[in-house]
Amino acid sequence: MGHGSTHADLSAGNIQLPAFALGFRNAAIGLAVIGLGAGAAIGYTGMFGTDAHHFWRAYLIAFLFALTPCLGGLFFVFVQHLTRAGWSVAVRRPAEALASNLRWIWILFVPFAVLWFMGKANVLWVWADMESLKANNEAEYHIVHAKEAFLNAKFFWIRACVYFGVWALLANFFVGNSVRQDETGDIALSERMQKWAGPAAILFGLTTTFAAFDWIMSISPAWFSTMFGVYFFCGCATAGFATMILITVRLRQLGTLRGIVSPEHMQDLGKLLFAFGMVFWAYIGFSQYMLIWYANVPEETGWFLARQLGGWAPLSFALLFGHFLIPFVAVMSKWQKRRALVLAAAAVWMLVFHYVDLYWLVMPEIPHDIGTFSTYAAISEKYTNEATHIGNPVNFLLAIGALATVIVGTLGTLSRIALVPKKDPRLAESIRFENM
Amino acid sequence: MDITVTRRVTTKFPLCVRQSFDEIHTVSNMATIVTSPTDTSQERPAPKPTRLYGLMAEFETPGDLMAAAEKVRDAGFRWWDCHTPFPVHGLDGAMGLKRTVLPWLVFGAGATGTLVAFLLQAYTNSWNFPMWAGVWVHGYPFLISGKPAMSLPAFIPVMFELTILFSALATVKLMFLFNGLPMLYHPLFKSNRFRRASNDRFFIVIEARDPKFLPKRTEEFLRTLGPTSVEAVED
Repeated sequence: MGHGSTHADLSAGNIQLPAFALGFRNAAIGLAVIGLGAGAAIGYTGMFGTDAHHFWRAYLIAFLFALTPCLGGLFFVFVQHLTRAGWSVAVRRPAEALASNLRWIWILFVPFAVLWFMGKANVLWVWADMESLKANNEAEYHIVHAKEAFLNAKFFWIRACVYFGVWALLANFFVGNSVRQDETGDIALSERMQKWAGPAAILFGLTTTFAAFDWIMSISPAWFSTMFGVYFFCGCATAGFATMILITVRLRQLGTLRGIVSPEHMQDLGKLLFAFGMVFWAYIGFSQYMLIWYANVPEETGWFLARQLGGWAPLSFALLFGHFLIPFVAVMSKWQKRRALVLAAAAVWMLVFHYVDLYWLVMPEIPHDIGTFSTYAAISEKYTNEATHIGNPVNFLLAIGALATVIVGTLGTLSRIALVPKKDPRLAESIRFENM
Repeated sequence: MDITVTRRVTTKFPLCVRQSFDEIHTVSNMATIVTSPTDTSQERPAPKPTRLYGLMAEFETPGDLMAAAEKVRDAGFRWWDCHTPFPVHGLDGAMGLKRTVLPWLVFGAGATGTLVAFLLQAYTNSWNFPMWAGVWVHGYPFLISGKPAMSLPAFIPVMFELTILFSALATVKLMFLFNGLPMLYHPLFKSNRFRRASNDRFFIVIEARDPKFLPKRTEEFLRTLGPTSVEAVED
């Protein structure tokens, strides 16, 4: 029972990252170097049948796998200010540490600029080279040609700069003010963050939506779905909450945050993971699917058809069960969410399936000859041997390498600042917090 | 004294919540006294033999109640309850309440809803055999926008809705059932002190049917918990 005890232990031993945790950071640096280096080597030499097409998509997935937890962290932070939440203060720092990675995450996007300068961006985004698109797939060319006012190199890079700029600005604002409050305890800082949380939400919503359109949806430039941005946002929230849970559980294992973070907070983080990672994801995913399935417009169904051919069909079902049904039942009960290890296992599970989800979004390619088949049976028979190549080591190496850079950044931030916003006016309320 | 006036007082009596104990007591006595002379010819019915329902201890703060509840729990009582004007956080733990089976039943109800919705749609859209459902009905495969008759994606919204509907109805109905609601009479309603359970007082009631209940001893025990009063409530 937390009632009555408002004087929590805010001594350095309880709210500072222990020095030996930095050893873990060095290991993460090693992982990042090995993962990204070995991944690049495989991509360069073409081992395991890795062509440029597969390599760049795998790298895009890895980049998104690193980006989404940080965006999820930022989302959590501004939503707490937006709602003036009291309960979450004790667990806000892990989210802030994740969000603070958004200040440098653009570095991981630089390879795409290099790819562009090499003139090979069309291995990933076919619209980057309209002439070769016209030569290879004229039907698609005509559709994409009409979208050129939006899908052109100059505007694409201006937008990318805007996204990274907005994210860095928002992260800087919320993390900076929160850290400043650790020293001054000034309530005006909380009020200022609350005031700007509304505009931050609008900026965040627009930038993540259009980033998803630009980087993922435009891989199949003839296809479109207005729900796609929300789907990507679901992924951000899933990755963000899963990572926050893992950081919080790990910090508690290291002997910090005693008497500050309780099972009550874990239960609420679990609720958020449950709500966004499982329920909302399935809701948005199904809504997107059902509208396209029902309308049955060939221009739209091709995207889903590509995800039903050959090895992609089992992968789609794996997502349905792994991202929704199994964890939905497993973490539904209040008691599961209150057990730190069960919740941590669920978080790892969700991160794995978040990767599969990104893979499912980015990797499949709509067959060029899709218009020549008269029946579904004919096309599914021709592509029955279509492989997903999800077992290719380059996928894991790049993903682990990219995620390791985020771990390095997060641990670096956590080692410089306190593990709780120690002078937040609502900290006492948060420590006392109890679910019904 | 005018009889209509007293009648009005008597009907008003159950509604006046914030009157002091003594005031209400006098008014209700007056009512009895004034109404009885009208039928002096009749003999008064013999008072029903009353049975002790339980002992009720009154506390001033949620903190006092929590501390007392932990002691009642540790003393091993089973048939007892707390009454508070608002939900008190952590009281479940202090009372040592067991986990409810309600979530499992609701899960079952929800799963039933999913299945019913599926069968209903499959039968009315895809299957073609007669079935007795009060009267003889016949399944009818419908061709809708060229889709296969058994098209699961189209069924999912209704399956989702019926899952929610069945779960929600089961939750409310079973909650009523488990709590014995609707309950129009309860012995505690006779206590004037107990009215403040909906305002600013906190109560622990140990029922006489508890195997550990002994009128004298239990009263002494309750007094050690620091209540502002202990009252015997009759059935």
